[in-house]
Amino acid sequence: MDITGRLERFFSQRRIFFFAVVIALLAALPAFGFSRYIMRICIVISIYSMLTLALNLVAGYTGQLSMGNGGFYAIGAYTATLLMINAGLSFWSSLVVAAAFAGISGFLLGLPTLRLKGSYLTIVTLGFGEIVRMILMNWDTVTNGTLGVRNIPLPSLFGVSLSFTNHGLYYLALVLTALVSVFCALVINSKVGRAFIAIREDEIAAQMMGIKTVRYKVLAFVLSATISGIAGAFYAPMVGYIDPNSFTFDISSQIISMAILGGLGTMRGMYFGAAALIVFPEVSRFLMDYRFVIYGLILVLMMRFRPQGLLGWRTRLPYRFGKVLERQLAAEGSLPPLL
Amino acid sequence: MAIFIQQLCNGLALGLVYALVAVGYSLVFGILRLINFSHGAVYAFGAHAAFFFVGLNFGPVPAIIAALVITGLLGVVIDKTALAPLRKKRSVPIAALVTTLGISNIIQNLLVVKFGSQRKPFPDFFNLGAFTLGGIQFSSRQFVMFGVSLVLLLLLLLVVNKTKIGLAMRATAQNAKAASLMGINVNSIITLTFLMGGASAAIAGGMVGGYYQVVYPGMGFMIGLKAFAASVLGGIGSLPGALVGGLLVGVIESIAALYIGSNYRDSMAFIILIVVLIVRPAGLFGKNEVVKV
Amino acid sequence: MKRGVFVLALVLAAFLAVGCGGGQSQASSVPVKIAVALPMTGDNAEYGKSFLTAAEIMVEKWNKAGGVLGKQIELVIYDDKNSAEEAASIAQKIVSDKDIIGVLGHFSSGVSMTAAPTYQENKVIEISNCASHPGYSKIGNYIFRNNTVISAEFNVIVDVVANDLKLNKVGIIAIKTDWGNTAGGIAADLVKANPKLTLVAHEEVLETSDDHGPAIAKLKAAGAEAVIAVGMYSLYGPLARQYKEVDPKIQLLGVSNAYTQQIIQLGGDAVEGLFAPVSFFAQSDDPEVKAFVDEFKKRFGMEPSALAAQAYDSIGILLEAIKSAGSLEREKVRDAVNSISYPGITGPTNFDSIGDADKKFQKVRIQGGKFIQYKG
Repeated sequence: MDITGRLERFFSQRRIFFFAVVIALLAALPAFGFSRYIMRICIVISIYSMLTLALNLVAGYTGQLSMGNGGFYAIGAYTATLLMINAGLSFWSSLVVAAAFAGISGFLLGLPTLRLKGSYLTIVTLGFGEIVRMILMNWDTVTNGTLGVRNIPLPSLFGVSLSFTNHGLYYLALVLTALVSVFCALVINSKVGRAFIAIREDEIAAQMMGIKTVRYKVLAFVLSATISGIAGAFYAPMVGYIDPNSFTFDISSQIISMAILGGLGTMRGMYFGAAALIVFPEVSRFLMDYRFVIYGLILVLMMRFRPQGLLGWRTRLPYRFGKVLERQLAAEGSLPPLL
Repeated sequence: MAIFIQQLCNGLALGLVYALVAVGYSLVFGILRLINFSHGAVYAFGAHAAFFFVGLNFGPVPAIIAALVITGLLGVVIDKTALAPLRKKRSVPIAALVTTLGISNIIQNLLVVKFGSQRKPFPDFFNLGAFTLGGIQFSSRQFVMFGVSLVLLLLLLLVVNKTKIGLAMRATAQNAKAASLMGINVNSIITLTFLMGGASAAIAGGMVGGYYQVVYPGMGFMIGLKAFAASVLGGIGSLPGALVGGLLVGVIESIAALYIGSNYRDSMAFIILIVVLIVRPAGLFGKNEVVKV
Repeated sequence: MKRGVFVLALVLAAFLAVGCGGGQSQASSVPVKIAVALPMTGDNAEYGKSFLTAAEIMVEKWNKAGGVLGKQIELVIYDDKNSAEEAASIAQKIVSDKDIIGVLGHFSSGVSMTAAPTYQENKVIEISNCASHPGYSKIGNYIFRNNTVISAEFNVIVDVVANDLKLNKVGIIAIKTDWGNTAGGIAADLVKANPKLTLVAHEEVLETSDDHGPAIAKLKAAGAEAVIAVGMYSLYGPLARQYKEVDPKIQLLGVSNAYTQQIIQLGGDAVEGLFAPVSFFAQSDDPEVKAFVDEFKKRFGMEPSALAAQAYDSIGILLEAIKSAGSLEREKVRDAVNSISYPGITGPTNFDSIGDADKKFQKVRIQGGKFIQYKG
């Protein structure tokens, strides 16, 4: 039996045990006395886990590849920051408003553009991400333009400031990621999630079955944007400084790479992808110049040899090419021509 | 007014270069229904190839021709190594899209490794001096750029519309399966398409390099996105569309830079893109594709 | 179940091994470590690499002479890609290495200012050879700037325009970045405050674009006689070429960034006559400068920029301070840096109470395809 098959069996047989171990380990992590540097990497991984989970709702389950999630992330970060600094709101209320605001912008983007299909949609979302950045750069009076916003206060709970030193930031990241994960799992396993998957599998068939496809696609976008917004709202106080260049196209592209490496349409793949691609550049600093080349190679090789992602076993997903899909392609003749 | 006319000319010259890059997107999209994200990086590669051959003391024209050949070949290599296997496996479109994204990363960063990320001086190929017309100063570079691009685009149109190879390309674009039944070698048509796309990108890269007299690895990112917007505006897959779309994006951008501010110029392409996709997704010259169930 | 426990044990062991690795590094014969945190990849990699070369030359010079306090000196290199996020994580990495006494870096002001609080908190001395934001050095008393203060540069530029060139209508063209925004604003205020000058236009351009046509058109329409260009080296070549095409008589002035060979390569004839204030002049006869320039050229293939020279001096300042403090105690070294009077290749340097270096300027102008010193 091949290695992936064995791994697959191992993990699916001991799922609950495995969950428990991971959760216990993560909760106990600060007790091991890691350096702040390593704890920081863990926090960054959790932020990107939220971002990839968000992308996963749209790209993995609903089948709409978004390249603009960096834009929602930016909106979340800026909304929360400006509320905390200018309106003096607490982190918690800013977080809620930022998430809502990102969700609304996801709705606004989603409404008109989700009538588009495939590649067109992808490009519009990319354009959206760039426009968000342009607005942040040029709307000086509100966003402070290219200078960015500095001295963003740390979140505090019952008067205790959550920092790196007291591991408050780490636990906050952990709790947020856990909440987002539970939320995603609930959505995916609900009626809504099944509608998402139906749209991904065959949009026309879904429509025939009475699923209001546009409505569900917009909903997927809103949920994805909201979660990205939460990640952004947490990121800003964590680094303490944001500027438009923190939210370039590279972020969106990185999120996609992570999700694809791990396996779109699976949740475990998201954590794995985020962790792998955050840790990889950290340990390979000696490769310096070739780092980004390898990044690109990962995408190309994954698509060629394991498009369902490294952990993409038993996914009910588009990136696994069963007989059904092949038959369907053959029947359609030239329609998706060759590719 | 003088400023306006100057910017209009500037926009037209830039626009034709966008059109030349946009053609690369359109050719590939027409045949494969694939948005080739690596095209911007291929364009930067073309400019660097020209820069490299100029450094070896090739004259300007041989340097551009050498660059054109090698960049065309790069296009073919991309297809043969990364995209053709996906077609064979009948992967979903997203797989190809992501692959081109990865290739773009690879090419751009290999350029950084080889040439460094800084801007490098590119010789002033086609400067015949500035001249004044009706009180307005014009640069001859703009006219050379405009002229060369226009001739190339017309040539390309001619090839696609009037030759046998062009007929085969159009047939493949319409229905690959039927085309292959008619005895057209679809694979060599695809190879040819990537060759032409790469070559036109190299020419565009060489010209923009000569116009601003700088080349650098990151030069392809923005222009790639703008050219993509241009091809969508014109109707992706349509060559006359790429021409008109490129001109429109170039002019709108230059005029916007003048009246709204230089820092908004890059967003214009995206705003155009989004508006077009919402109002008329098929673009100005494109046909709506009917989805058969 | 057995296998599960085994895996768990393995994972735990791995975590513990990594965790302990970070803590122990207090050996006796450790070298004096200085971190270099600069962009080594990405768009500003050339800057980072050139500063690193300069720093290496200085360190080798010291090591040949026996090191400092009898110990060899080691540079620890970090690539921050000029990104705030990377820099924040690198700063954590640097402060968790207790042997690192100081940092040369980071590149842009925004990035430096993200990392600086971490250094301040952990008493690691940060000397930036290029941060220009006024707020940078105010972050704390361990944060130093061995760079010219941008307003001092503009004072020289404004003086050249008003008194040497006797021009009146001044335009400003600045890149749209955090640095360009601040610097452009300072330049505008100084021009406005000078009774002999009129500010006719203030344009912003994108750093990613090489087409400055629209901004030039506006500056020309406003009747600018002299244009102060506020940007990185990459701005000057294309700007000068495009401007000279529409107005051959225009007088361009740059900040100290413009003093690099690259702008002559990129700008050709068009940058002839361009003015810039510099703290470091590579063609100088000073033997110390000559030795550095020759060595730098040999390793890097081109002449050092003023910023590279400041990187060289920054390392020198740090080592000299360690030597005069006579120990590696953070507080003592910091005090020594603050009270130093260092005769560097970028002129005599001392720091004020905020941590800013006080620099003297020379004026240079491009003539006949090279920089020459301009004397009023």
